[in-house]
Amino acid sequence: MTPTILEVALLGFVLACALGAALIEDVLGAILAFAAYSLGISIIWVILQAPDVGLTEAAVGAGVMTILFLLAIANTAREPTSRLFEPIGWRSVALVGAFVAVLALALPSLPAIGDPTAPVVDYRVTEHYLANSYEATGVKNAVTAVLAAYRGLDTLGEAIVVFTAAAAALVVLGREVLT
Amino acid sequence: MSDAGGDSEAGTPPADAPYVESPIIMTTVRLIAPFVFTYGLFVMFHGADTPGGGFQGGVLVGSVVVMIGFAFGVQPTRDWVRNEVLVGLAVAGVLTFVGVGVGALLLGESFLEYDAYAGLVPHASKYLIELVELGIGAIVATVVVGLYFSLAAGFDRESPRSDAADAADATTAGADGGEA
Repeated sequence: MTPTILEVALLGFVLACALGAALIEDVLGAILAFAAYSLGISIIWVILQAPDVGLTEAAVGAGVMTILFLLAIANTAREPTSRLFEPIGWRSVALVGAFVAVLALALPSLPAIGDPTAPVVDYRVTEHYLANSYEATGVKNAVTAVLAAYRGLDTLGEAIVVFTAAAAALVVLGREVLT
Repeated sequence: MSDAGGDSEAGTPPADAPYVESPIIMTTVRLIAPFVFTYGLFVMFHGADTPGGGFQGGVLVGSVVVMIGFAFGVQPTRDWVRNEVLVGLAVAGVLTFVGVGVGALLLGESFLEYDAYAGLVPHASKYLIELVELGIGAIVATVVVGLYFSLAAGFDRESPRSDAADAADATTAGADGGEA
């Protein structure tokens, strides 16, 4: 399938934002580039028919993480900068480039987007969830059915991890109240 | 650090940094906060039938308080939100989730087996999943707000409601140099 203009533009935008987050010297600029990157990725998730992931990426990646980063630089020092971009460390580029090349080797073996014969589509676990989750749990969103019912214990663990994050933050900061 | 640029984004400095009152941001937040709050609850409640759920809806609800902190200053917001409410909601969320699980055990089924409630609640599975999502939402929303306040207070600052141990930590933080 050929990508539409919108998809190409989004991918270019995300790539530019990722480079910006890595290279902009000013910390505030890098944080904003990172937020824009998350927002672009969340739209790509929606295009890829994964709205649950997109919603989470937009709310947590672009929203909350940005605010926490901003608070972190507000509470520490924002170094004055003289240049827009940091000097590029070519040794790091070579390392990252090699890593990307290894990942790219696996690309041709991925199924095309929307391929009805992709393993994840006709795998019997997927088909079981899609065919039976409404009968078994009464919720129409199969993602929620898996998350809350089939994998309820995992989700309980996740919720408790979130709870523990607040407790850990209080311990690290030596505070006794959340407010 | 001099706040030469990016005041509007960095309008959430810690409690003692200069807070810049912006009528534009205040009015915007006053307008959209109720809608974001409602949308967050919608995402939480309706996660069973449409994309969404407790995690996403909880972040949206929590972000309402964060937005108010942006617009009206961290300290006034801190005074407005009661610690007991935050801690109570987070604990209630965990207890709801665990309670639904243990309740199923008490009814003679496996842990978190929603069908155990079939005789007690109509559409037991659906409504208990909704309840669990609400519990998750309560945890996530309060933790987002709590992390926001905690990070805003920081490590080295005398928060009016924290104990004297904060002062002892101030020497290790060494973050004040940039603020002067």
